[in-house]
Amino acid sequence: MWAELRDLRDNIDLGTPPREGVEVTVTIDGVPVQVPSGSSVMLAAAKAGKSVPKLCATDTLEPFGSCRVCLVEIEGRRGFPASCTTLVEDGMTVATQSEKLQKLRKAVLELYLSDFPEQDIEGGWSEFHQVLQQCGVTTHPYPRGANHQDAPIDESNPYFLFDPAKCIVCSRCVRACEEIQGTFALTIAGRGFESQVAAGQNQPFFESECVSCGACVQTCPTQALVEKSLFEGGYHRG
Amino acid sequence: MSETAHPHTGTMGEAVLDMERLIAMANQIGDFFAPYPPARRSEGIRNHLRTYWDPRMREALLNYINTQGGKNLHEHVVAGAKALIDTGTDKKGYYGPPQV
Amino acid sequence: MANPIKPDRSVVTTCAYCGVGCSFKAETYQGRIVRMIPWKEGKANHGHSCVKGRFAYDYYNHPDRIRTPLIRKSINDPWREVSWDEAINYAASEFKRIQAEHGKKSIGAVSSSRCTNEEIFLVQKFARAVMGNNNIDNCARICHSPTQFGMSATVGWGAASQHFDSILQADVIMVVGSNPTEGHPVFGSLMKRRIRQGAKLIVIDPRHTETVESAHCNATVHLALRPGTNVAVLNSIAHVIVREKLYNETFVRERCEWDEFELWTNLVGSDRYAPEIVGPQADIDPELIRQVAHLYAAGPNSAIYYGLGVTEHSQGSTGVMCLGNLALACGMFGREGVGVNPMRGQGNVQGGSCLGSWPHVFSGYRFVTDAEVRSSFEQEWGVPLDDEPGLRLPNMFDAALTGHFRGMYIMGEDPVQSDPNQHHVIAAMKSMECVVLQDLFLNETSKYAHVFLPGSSSLEKEGSFTSAERRVNRVRKVVEPLAGYQDWEIVVKLMNAMGYPAHYNHAGEILDEIARLSPAYKGMSFDLLERIGSAQWPCDENAPEGTEVLHTVKFPRANGRGTFMLTEFVPTAERTSDRYPLLLTTGRILSQYNVGTQTRRTANSLWHPEDVLEINPEDAHVRGIKDGDWLTISSRFGSTRLKAKLSQRVNPGIVYTTFHHAKSKANVLTSDLSDWATNCPEYKVTAVEVVKTATGTVSTHQHETFEEAAA
Repeated sequence: MWAELRDLRDNIDLGTPPREGVEVTVTIDGVPVQVPSGSSVMLAAAKAGKSVPKLCATDTLEPFGSCRVCLVEIEGRRGFPASCTTLVEDGMTVATQSEKLQKLRKAVLELYLSDFPEQDIEGGWSEFHQVLQQCGVTTHPYPRGANHQDAPIDESNPYFLFDPAKCIVCSRCVRACEEIQGTFALTIAGRGFESQVAAGQNQPFFESECVSCGACVQTCPTQALVEKSLFEGGYHRG
Repeated sequence: MSETAHPHTGTMGEAVLDMERLIAMANQIGDFFAPYPPARRSEGIRNHLRTYWDPRMREALLNYINTQGGKNLHEHVVAGAKALIDTGTDKKGYYGPPQV
Repeated sequence: MANPIKPDRSVVTTCAYCGVGCSFKAETYQGRIVRMIPWKEGKANHGHSCVKGRFAYDYYNHPDRIRTPLIRKSINDPWREVSWDEAINYAASEFKRIQAEHGKKSIGAVSSSRCTNEEIFLVQKFARAVMGNNNIDNCARICHSPTQFGMSATVGWGAASQHFDSILQADVIMVVGSNPTEGHPVFGSLMKRRIRQGAKLIVIDPRHTETVESAHCNATVHLALRPGTNVAVLNSIAHVIVREKLYNETFVRERCEWDEFELWTNLVGSDRYAPEIVGPQADIDPELIRQVAHLYAAGPNSAIYYGLGVTEHSQGSTGVMCLGNLALACGMFGREGVGVNPMRGQGNVQGGSCLGSWPHVFSGYRFVTDAEVRSSFEQEWGVPLDDEPGLRLPNMFDAALTGHFRGMYIMGEDPVQSDPNQHHVIAAMKSMECVVLQDLFLNETSKYAHVFLPGSSSLEKEGSFTSAERRVNRVRKVVEPLAGYQDWEIVVKLMNAMGYPAHYNHAGEILDEIARLSPAYKGMSFDLLERIGSAQWPCDENAPEGTEVLHTVKFPRANGRGTFMLTEFVPTAERTSDRYPLLLTTGRILSQYNVGTQTRRTANSLWHPEDVLEINPEDAHVRGIKDGDWLTISSRFGSTRLKAKLSQRVNPGIVYTTFHHAKSKANVLTSDLSDWATNCPEYKVTAVEVVKTATGTVSTHQHETFEEAAA
């Protein structure tokens, strides 16, 4: 009855919380797999060994569907649904890789890269970097447009910092602060391009209600939120 | 006890703890067992003292009762303490309500 | 370039701080710890953590760390750095000398709740098998010893009946004298998750704590009772349940002692415990008492979580029994979502309790006076053992002042800062001939020590912790001990130096010895913990992977039944008076941990750089006190200075502070009153007065008697 907590494993991120329920069978890229009903297609794919690339999803948080990377094709359905917010049904057939899906993912990732520090694309090991590698994306074709690369870094907390230049507004931090920690210190302020992670009443982290539990840092896929201790000699934008 | 208490104020023959403290502790124990019927009251005290108090503390208390007649001690505390010496065989210590 | 370094090694271990016992992956880079990441498979925390375990680990590397043993003949001499052999031999020879001159019972030991199960076990073995007495205590004396007493009396074992996850099945959560949001944050988050799902929350606490009200999580009822009235209020709740016949008669008849239940119903059912009488005594609305009674009894699953607000009183044990009585009467045991759960504060204080680091019991809460149990230990250890209970920590200090107690081995504790009535403790320390302190840093107690043995942090040793949910978790070495030895190795050295041959190839062998000698740990071993990560005791042939929920079929008492204890309300002797009209109560804050030895040496001090005194604006106003003013707080026992913080969290008549900083000397104020059964100090009720202070030093009072204070 506590599958969403107790069935978590360290060596795999299932993408959405494990559920309990009657088992159903779905086929992912030709591989049949049994998962409890109420599970997401993303979780079924992970269980089948066919993990779908993802950014805003993680198995410690309820699905959100903002990053648009985890798209799949489902037989008998139109379009390219997000596998994190789509629930399994018995007998479902799913394809996680196809030319069209690869193109779509590449396009989404290139857009993320267009507003990401150029000099940090190579040499990084965050989830975002791993997804880029998984999808074979290394650059983007866009000229320099409006961006967040000069947004101020929040180093108010003694242990971690927030660099908006790397933020993809996936909301994992906001959701972690709500669902896991329960402090509700973070929100996304503004809309569209102006969207930004805000602590408290748009204050520095240290002055907000943030209790420095580190859940947001742990879950951030791009290391926009990151431990200061991982930088010898301080954090410097290139 | 003031900060300027001289080290080793007592010799080994005297009470291991200040008598006032022992009396206060014993009476506190007595207060807990007061709601029980009399026989169970003193048994509860006896069991507690036997199981939890260093023997020198028990000795000091009994000495006090013998020499000062249990002045300042509740009646049932005196009865409970006396039961420590009156019973020939040592009853095994236990948790929970006093058992008679 | 702003790409972080990538850790090259990761070790799963358990947090050194609170009793939740979060599992972490300690990540290192080129041998240095660079990050603590919560471990998703940790059964207590499921991948979550708080600011302390997650970030405040740098204390282990702080320049203040002592890396060489120190000795001195007198506490007025400066410390001298010596070799390990010299320090150990000096300590051993001093202990032997004192025993030869003053008797076997003239020395004793105190173990640490921040050290592993293996280390605590060795320290109590040291006292029993090597010193030859039962003068062994642990810091649970000053926090949860009433839990051990009160729960053993009612249900048989002094430990949480549930695992943490069980709260997700609770419908009514009653938090008494505890502030999980601050003191057990990861558990607090789990609790809030359940409340957001619809469970009701009752909080019994004098203060309007963070648990009472926070984002999307508010208490249905908050009983802001006057400090010192716990038993009256709990009896009053029971009164309503008994008078309105809301108890679970089937459960009581089947699983409890009916005769004791009847005695109990007579007591709590009597008029003096009616809410209309008790409410005014406790400064709460009688209607709220009734509401709590109705909510709790109705359940269907009602769970109690309680802390030091229950235990640190002169009726601490009685308060715990009240909770046991309530839960038994309403049938709230033996399944998920219910139970009575003490929120054990420190990482391994439950271990200390379970492993017999007490003057009156061996491991498993079995009395030293029990010949059968004693002989099993005598056989394993090869020496005859003292058959009488020893001295409790507060009584060790008392006995030091009468000259009967002259030597002490203290591992990982700071009684001078953490124990009450500081003047008394200091006087006692000064009168001892040999104090051996084993710790990471020089602390307040070290000022009165003769031997200082540099210990190891939990990042530098192998062993296990027992958390507040009875979970035995592995502690793994991430870096080599900075001073050269793991704490358990130092205890072994001391044993050998005093003539007792002890040898263990590795810490796992100590856990094996524990398993042979403690029924509840019978199945525990490093092998088991490697395989399944962690296990809750009891772990034996009936439960080879541990037990999540206790009391499902029987209660661990002789007849298998739970029982009821008579809990008459006895007001504390501590009273307010004209001279000391306010009541001081104490507590904890999220970012600092206990006496702050570790967290003050990390950036956590940015959040809580000093202890402050929370005072209600009404009380502040009549005293001309503004926010930020320096105050002198005095009690019958002494005075100290703190900064004022005006706050609506405390009702008029009550002031509140924390005890994380040595310079605040909060324990100069606290009294010599304690729990009747265990001598657990009454930290939560001290009569004080508060005045605005200009500048200059404060002269500390001498101790005043009750009569002087009331004059």
